[in-house]
Amino acid sequence: MTKTKKSRISPMWKRTVSHIFTKPATTKYPFVKPQLPDDFRGQQVFDIKLCVSCGLCSRDCPAKAIEMVEVEGKRRPQFKLDQCIFCYQCAESCPRNAIKSSVFYELATTDKSSLVLKPQTSVQKGA
Amino acid sequence: MRRQNQTSNNNIDIIKVIETKLKDKVQIQLGQLGKAAIVTINGLHRDVLKAMVEADEKTAITAITGLDLGPSLGVLYHIRTSNAFLTIRAEVPKDNPKIQTVIDIIPGAIFHELEVADLLGVVFEGNQLVGHFVLSEYWPEGVYPLRKDVKANEIKLNPPPTEEKKQLEYGKVVKIIIGPQHPALLEPEKFAVTVDGETVTKVEPRIGYVHRGIEKAAESRTYLQDVYLVERICGICNTIHACNFVEGVEKILKTEVPPRAKYLRVIALELNRLHSHLLTLGHAGLEIGYETLFQYFWRDREPIMDLIELTSGNRVYSSLMTVGGVRRDLKDTDLPKIKTTLEDLRKKLPFYRQIYENEPSIKARMKKVGVLKREDALKLCVVGPVARGSGVDIDVRKDEPYEAYGEIPFKEIVYTEGDTWARMNVRMDEVEESINIVEYAIDHLPTGPFRGKAPRVVPAGEAVNRVEAPRGELFCYIKSNGTASPERVKVRTPTYANIPAFLKTAIGENIADIPPNFVSLDPCFSCTDR
Amino acid sequence: MIDLDLILRILIFPGFTFILLLTLFCDWVERKLEARLQNRVGPMVAGPGGILQPLADFIKLLTKEDIEPRDAKKTVFKFAPLVAFTIMVFAICFLPIDGASVLSTTGFNGDLIVILTFSTIASFLLFLSGWASCNPYGTIGSARVLTQFLGYDIPLFMLALTPAFVAGSLSIFVIASSQTIPYILLAPWAFVLFIIAMQAELEKGPFDVPDAESEVVGGLETEYTGAKLAFLHLTRDVQIVFGAALVVELFLGGPYGPVFFGLPAFWYSLWFVLKLLAIVIVAEYVTTLFARLRIDQVLSANWRIILPAAILSLMLTVAMVTWVYPLV
Repeated sequence: MTKTKKSRISPMWKRTVSHIFTKPATTKYPFVKPQLPDDFRGQQVFDIKLCVSCGLCSRDCPAKAIEMVEVEGKRRPQFKLDQCIFCYQCAESCPRNAIKSSVFYELATTDKSSLVLKPQTSVQKGA
Repeated sequence: MRRQNQTSNNNIDIIKVIETKLKDKVQIQLGQLGKAAIVTINGLHRDVLKAMVEADEKTAITAITGLDLGPSLGVLYHIRTSNAFLTIRAEVPKDNPKIQTVIDIIPGAIFHELEVADLLGVVFEGNQLVGHFVLSEYWPEGVYPLRKDVKANEIKLNPPPTEEKKQLEYGKVVKIIIGPQHPALLEPEKFAVTVDGETVTKVEPRIGYVHRGIEKAAESRTYLQDVYLVERICGICNTIHACNFVEGVEKILKTEVPPRAKYLRVIALELNRLHSHLLTLGHAGLEIGYETLFQYFWRDREPIMDLIELTSGNRVYSSLMTVGGVRRDLKDTDLPKIKTTLEDLRKKLPFYRQIYENEPSIKARMKKVGVLKREDALKLCVVGPVARGSGVDIDVRKDEPYEAYGEIPFKEIVYTEGDTWARMNVRMDEVEESINIVEYAIDHLPTGPFRGKAPRVVPAGEAVNRVEAPRGELFCYIKSNGTASPERVKVRTPTYANIPAFLKTAIGENIADIPPNFVSLDPCFSCTDR
Repeated sequence: MIDLDLILRILIFPGFTFILLLTLFCDWVERKLEARLQNRVGPMVAGPGGILQPLADFIKLLTKEDIEPRDAKKTVFKFAPLVAFTIMVFAICFLPIDGASVLSTTGFNGDLIVILTFSTIASFLLFLSGWASCNPYGTIGSARVLTQFLGYDIPLFMLALTPAFVAGSLSIFVIASSQTIPYILLAPWAFVLFIIAMQAELEKGPFDVPDAESEVVGGLETEYTGAKLAFLHLTRDVQIVFGAALVVELFLGGPYGPVFFGLPAFWYSLWFVLKLLAIVIVAEYVTTLFARLRIDQVLSANWRIILPAAILSLMLTVAMVTWVYPLV
């Protein structure tokens, strides 16, 4: 990096004017959505076929957001997304890899009951 | 101006000094709780401290931990010197918990003593606690939350008073209350500033508005859950809190972390430091009314947040640390992207340096504002860029290297002017150093596993650990008793140690200088109150 | 006999409605320009390109709850913002906008002094509105407004008299219409100093101390909510339009410019609006460039730099007018 002679004028004069002609740095959300990496920690995806009802996910959850409920005679985890901190300790503790992450993050809603992921309806919402 | 590569070359053996001065009166246990633990009886802690302060000018109190040991209360003084870290143990009986204060030897101990007095009920003679310090004013009397017989769910607060308080009297000397809700502060704290005209004469702080009782909550959760709890002490410096706790647990377990995990931890920590420093630099611009600089800095901070999202899956809470290593690996396909982003950021730095050198309005607002002289910085035990801006060269990454910092070359940035301008420049230069560190770590990333095995139940023991957060030295003390939950977790955050410095530098200055002065400390009140 | 033409001139064009729409438009121009200089988009969603955003903000404030503190002085608290707004609009009505002003076609000798006095009274009413709210932040904020605008009024008056010297009259119409060469070229030193003094009067740019959120929360606006706050904001914006319009009249030749075809009134209004926007853009650019100065730095800049410079510029202009320009 070569050092040119240091000028005593602040460079802010030129820089602000040059920004009129450059593209703005704003992402125009929600008209333009950002690109997310594949292993982004969004909403959980629960595969009921792999679950063995051990209850380790519920025991290890730091936010106590997983409750084991009775579904068809077996205990399955029910996720409360309004308490979840999306740390994915449940995915790590699960011995059968039944909990996976997704890139869905637009979870804001006015209806709190939609934030409870019941085991039989744990499918990925939206795109 | 700037002094480079000034690491501590003080070769004082502080343990020998204590041995010669106090011979049989104290018991020295080497290798425990730092370099050595010194057990004192009958209030000899003051003599030990005096001997250390006379021998080494950089002696400072890092933290004072209070413990509930059953029939007695333990008080641990954690001291750092130029080349060692020691602990002094003292004990007081529970029915007469009186101990002598040390604020006449080291004035920076005042906040630490008040907190132990508030949360555990230890009475420090000479430093009386009036009202409450960290707890709210409606806290019931005589209930000390960190004692083992107090259950957190069963405490009933006093009701608020029903009659209104009297009006403030207006006179020549006016008390202006900054906070708890105030546009200048990101988080709530109250500072009652007494002004005479436009000059500040006194600042009285009231902290504790964000006190969530995390230290007490950590005692009822397992170690695995505690990593996520401790991470949420602060939103900005979350990675370093998790790393601090995890290193402390690993010290008790005596496990070794694989080398690849050490380098991955360094990369995550330095990305966290980058985004935190860019946040402060922008926020300082906002405080002095320079909105353009604020927008530019935060625009340049966005690619760093994208990098954190790429490496950890979330923009803010990276949740990468776990006992024994890191939770996820860095893919080789991500490495070129990290390098290009950091290269772009490095190219933007000369513009900002020129602004700090040449812009007349920045120089008018930041130079000679909030000057902290070197002697005051040493006596008040300040840490981080506040200390390094006043000529005190302390940096835990250089004094006591942890993770892979011992193998990575980087410079320690020290400025000597001690004003707001110097502190901001320290942070700007540290941005460049962090970029260098991450690039070196990526180039020399070792292969191998990124996670080791760690048991869930930790054997009995205790450990101290300190790391360098973006705001300064972060310290934790963990005591385990052989179960799956820790017995005592104590965290001392850097802003907690720096607030007494603000109380001193604001005196005698214009009231309009309080916001830039305050922001240059980089306050983070979630950290302060825990 | 009701003069329908006069009533239409006062209410619609170039009177109240026109000034209101011009204010909202200038607010949009300022916000969009500041955003683009800072490398971001400004208002984007309300209307095409966000042009309805200032109107949306005004309407939103009108729908909010109106709270009055118990200790505030009722009459002053309620009416000061409204009266300040009215006086500012009244002052603009003296300026020639489409060849003639709202109220008359020729103006009168001395109306320059009159409208500068109106501007001072309006600023004083803003100070009173902060003082009447009986809030410590309001008190400090309004005291700062008072010291600042009283201090900068003196060089502003002197610099406003400079074009009067060149034109030889104190009537705005005469000053504006006798600018065959615009005075910005004949007395550029006065123009630069006038822009700086105007920034300080309008509390923009490096001199926006009363706006300093981080120190005095809201300044004089702290206790105002709802419709009263909407009028305070509107008064601020109208002050900016007034300042820019004054610069246009005094230094840029007013609304007079080349007429190509059709009505001269249309062309005169067009030139007026274009020149106004140019001055608003220059003022906003200066705001974006600098940090905010401290109140004692603002005052020492006034008494030590701007005031002596204003006196010198007046002397220089008088010298140039008497000896140099008649030769050219």
